[in-house]
Amino acid sequence: MRTVQLFITCLVDTFFPEVGEAMVDVLREAGVDVDFPRDQTCCGQPTFNAGLRAEARQMAEHTIRVFDSRKGDVVLPSGSCAHMIRHNYEELFADDPLWLPRAKSLAARTYEFTEYLVDVLSITDPSTSSGRRFSPRWDGLLTYHPTCHLHRGLGIDRQPKTLLANIHGAQIIELPEAEDCCGFGGIFSVEHPELSAEMLKRKIRNLEKTQSPTLVVCDAGCLMHIQGGLKRNKMKQRVVHIAQILANQ
Amino acid sequence: MTSYQFRTRIRAAIANANLQQALDANALRRVQGRVTAFASLPDWKERRQRAHAVRADVISRLDEYLERFIEKAIGNGIIVHRANDAAEAINIISKIVGATGQSPLPKLIAKSKSMVSEEINLNHALEAAGHRVIETDLGEYIVQLRGEKPAHIITPAVHLRRHQVGQLFHEKLGIPYTEDIPTLTNTARKVLREVFLTADVGVSGVNFGVAETGALCIVTNEGNGRMVTTLPPIHIALMGMERLVPTLDDLALMLSLLPRSATGQKLSVYTQLIHSPRRADETDGAHERHLIILDNGRSRLLNSPLQEALYCIRCGACLNACPVFRELGGHAYVGSDGSIAPYPGPIGSVVSPGLLGLEQFGHLAQASSLCGACKDACPVDIDLPRLLTRVRAGGSKQETVSSGVGLSFVSRFGLKVYGVIGKSATLFSAAQKLAGIGSRLISPFSAWMWIPSFTGWGFSKDFPRPAVRSFRERFSHRPQRTKDSATESTEISVKKKEERREPDVPEAPKVNLVERFTEELTALGGNVYRVPRDKLNDRLIEFLRERKVEAVLMWDSVEGVDEIHLTRAGIRAVRSADPSLRVGITGVASAIAETGTLVVPSGKGQMLSASLLPEIHIAVAQSSQIVPSLEEALRSDAVRGAASVALISGPSRTADIEMTLTIGVHGPEELHAFVTGEQL
Repeated sequence: MRTVQLFITCLVDTFFPEVGEAMVDVLREAGVDVDFPRDQTCCGQPTFNAGLRAEARQMAEHTIRVFDSRKGDVVLPSGSCAHMIRHNYEELFADDPLWLPRAKSLAARTYEFTEYLVDVLSITDPSTSSGRRFSPRWDGLLTYHPTCHLHRGLGIDRQPKTLLANIHGAQIIELPEAEDCCGFGGIFSVEHPELSAEMLKRKIRNLEKTQSPTLVVCDAGCLMHIQGGLKRNKMKQRVVHIAQILANQ
Repeated sequence: MTSYQFRTRIRAAIANANLQQALDANALRRVQGRVTAFASLPDWKERRQRAHAVRADVISRLDEYLERFIEKAIGNGIIVHRANDAAEAINIISKIVGATGQSPLPKLIAKSKSMVSEEINLNHALEAAGHRVIETDLGEYIVQLRGEKPAHIITPAVHLRRHQVGQLFHEKLGIPYTEDIPTLTNTARKVLREVFLTADVGVSGVNFGVAETGALCIVTNEGNGRMVTTLPPIHIALMGMERLVPTLDDLALMLSLLPRSATGQKLSVYTQLIHSPRRADETDGAHERHLIILDNGRSRLLNSPLQEALYCIRCGACLNACPVFRELGGHAYVGSDGSIAPYPGPIGSVVSPGLLGLEQFGHLAQASSLCGACKDACPVDIDLPRLLTRVRAGGSKQETVSSGVGLSFVSRFGLKVYGVIGKSATLFSAAQKLAGIGSRLISPFSAWMWIPSFTGWGFSKDFPRPAVRSFRERFSHRPQRTKDSATESTEISVKKKEERREPDVPEAPKVNLVERFTEELTALGGNVYRVPRDKLNDRLIEFLRERKVEAVLMWDSVEGVDEIHLTRAGIRAVRSADPSLRVGITGVASAIAETGTLVVPSGKGQMLSASLLPEIHIAVAQSSQIVPSLEEALRSDAVRGAASVALISGPSRTADIEMTLTIGVHGPEELHAFVTGEQL
């Protein structure tokens, strides 16, 4: 049996454990065994993006050590953390002949969740995959926000859209200006609250235009950001991670 | 630390409804324009990678290319100066300006757009020395009249709306208040025409220098670039030392990307190639051409992790695509002392600190969500998000020590603490526990917490309450999956990470060149007449009579045009650049089908002014002169051998006021191509 190493990522671990559970359910339903290395913490992206490379490096080294000793693909419920490992680790260790190969080898077996389902497990229609108890249903409208590091950084767009398109009962509405950033950007949302707020406003306005009560994303950071904005404005829409839809959570 | 000044500007920009409307319109129009323009270039992704490789090669061997370029340029008769910094450049220019003409001071300087001149604050220096400097690009002219800096590297007046320009022209130029954009444009045309005709010196930027030929390539739409390089006796060109391409083929590649990215055009209206000053047998063009090649921090940038920023061809596409620029406009990007950064937007947030110092401009790099829209828009595929993180990491210095340039004290402290916690799973889970329980004391009932504005996050959103039982705790208590069912779907499909390959581009079908040329130029607002050779003179005379034209500014000889015919019809051919003449008649060296372009070289008896000064430009082309592509046109000896060549794609135009297209700015407002020959 195939075993994957789950890198849960700090935000899902701390704020949205249910997303992690949904992801585990889906992977198990797809016939994959899920291993969770308990020593894992954070990929280091918050510090890397802020320009604190020494701190980022220490977290990256920690992450590499945690997964080095375990076999199997590493799967994450977050496009931006997958992007961090696949693109920025190389940058972080560019001048280090000892760490660079280790960073690259982790990068080579790291996958974002939907990418893993579609490209590696060849699941495109979740409801018919090998007769498993894996038949997501959704009653009503859904709209999808392609998060920046996922679709621009990693080029992953077809995968989540394919999965969503095959969900029973779901009517997918296109989000206007879907590819615009929601304004999260990690430390950016704290350092530049005014700019972040304007970008978030635009995203929420576009969400309203779809009349969909549910927005799907593949990134916990963007989920937290957009949902936080909706809550602040006492709006009813919900932002969910794609794993939650696939797991019928 | 993000400067107080920057934060103040951000708030003011966001609160300025007028600015927001102008910037929204810019973003929507420009992004759409670029997408549409690239649709006409099926192999654009491949071109983009080639362009990246060309720029990477130039930058990695810059000394070599500069040497070759300078040698060629000097050989062509251009006076080349190298300036290490702004002060040296200003000093050189002041000397050239001071030495011109008989009368000492003040001199009138007509300028076309040059971001390098903004970078070195040239206008201020020249004005302080008593000279009069007039910006002649419509957008630049508007911001100069307002006493401002350009708000965008391509569209200087992007921040303004038409009523503001109307008010400005009413106050400064004494015309009745109007919001009619053609009227405003025409007013500027009249004022600036006088400037072109009387200026002592013309100053321009340079879009590309071509190493193999020493050519300067200057791209404009209004025609002001041609005016300032053609009419004043002295021309000074300012170029950043990185703006080279190795060959004319590379130039053609860049020109297929630059205008599409900048303004959504296949080619800008005027693409000039300048090789040398006016030759002895020519009657116009600057007598003396100076080229100033500026370093001003570029060498330092070259030897830093920010090197890739030097690949930039200054198209402005990253500004238009950037969600932060869309909120701010160029004037909000200020240094710690409050001065406006010469280059705004994503590329500016790398280049401004890279050239002028992290202390002054480093904080700009934090004003990005690293969303990558800039990288996607970049025609030479500069990895701007990566460069922004390098600036944040203190990247303009050689070492990549962590430094968090531009971070607030609180963020820095918080992230450093997080860095310590993040190294240890024990600390990490303890911190999670603590946060989970602590947050319940603050917010016992709601899973989303209101947090105050000063936290940054709380300015516009609630914060999620950390779980009491994190995923790591929950996971250990989950039942292990029973391993009874077989796993049939475990075959690994060949994985293709970040698949971005495009299907092979089908070979272009054979098209009738005359037809394609006609279609393209007509779409640009030009007129094309296909005329049998024996009817050409009659048709020309008919055309001129309809417009009651009695005299035309005409080349000594235009293939197929018989001057005796014209004279008999009462139309005089004039050979000196009289600005009162309404019509100019020229031949062409070639015409380009894919872009609807007329290639008009200077030469003996071939006045540059004939295609520039009159309101109406008539070009006579033989059908056999039409070539398919820009590459091919640039390869011809007629182009390589001329002192100066204008590639003309349509009548002069501008979109500097509210991006509203207006035809007829400085150059001709009507362009008529008479195509004659065997195959029509």
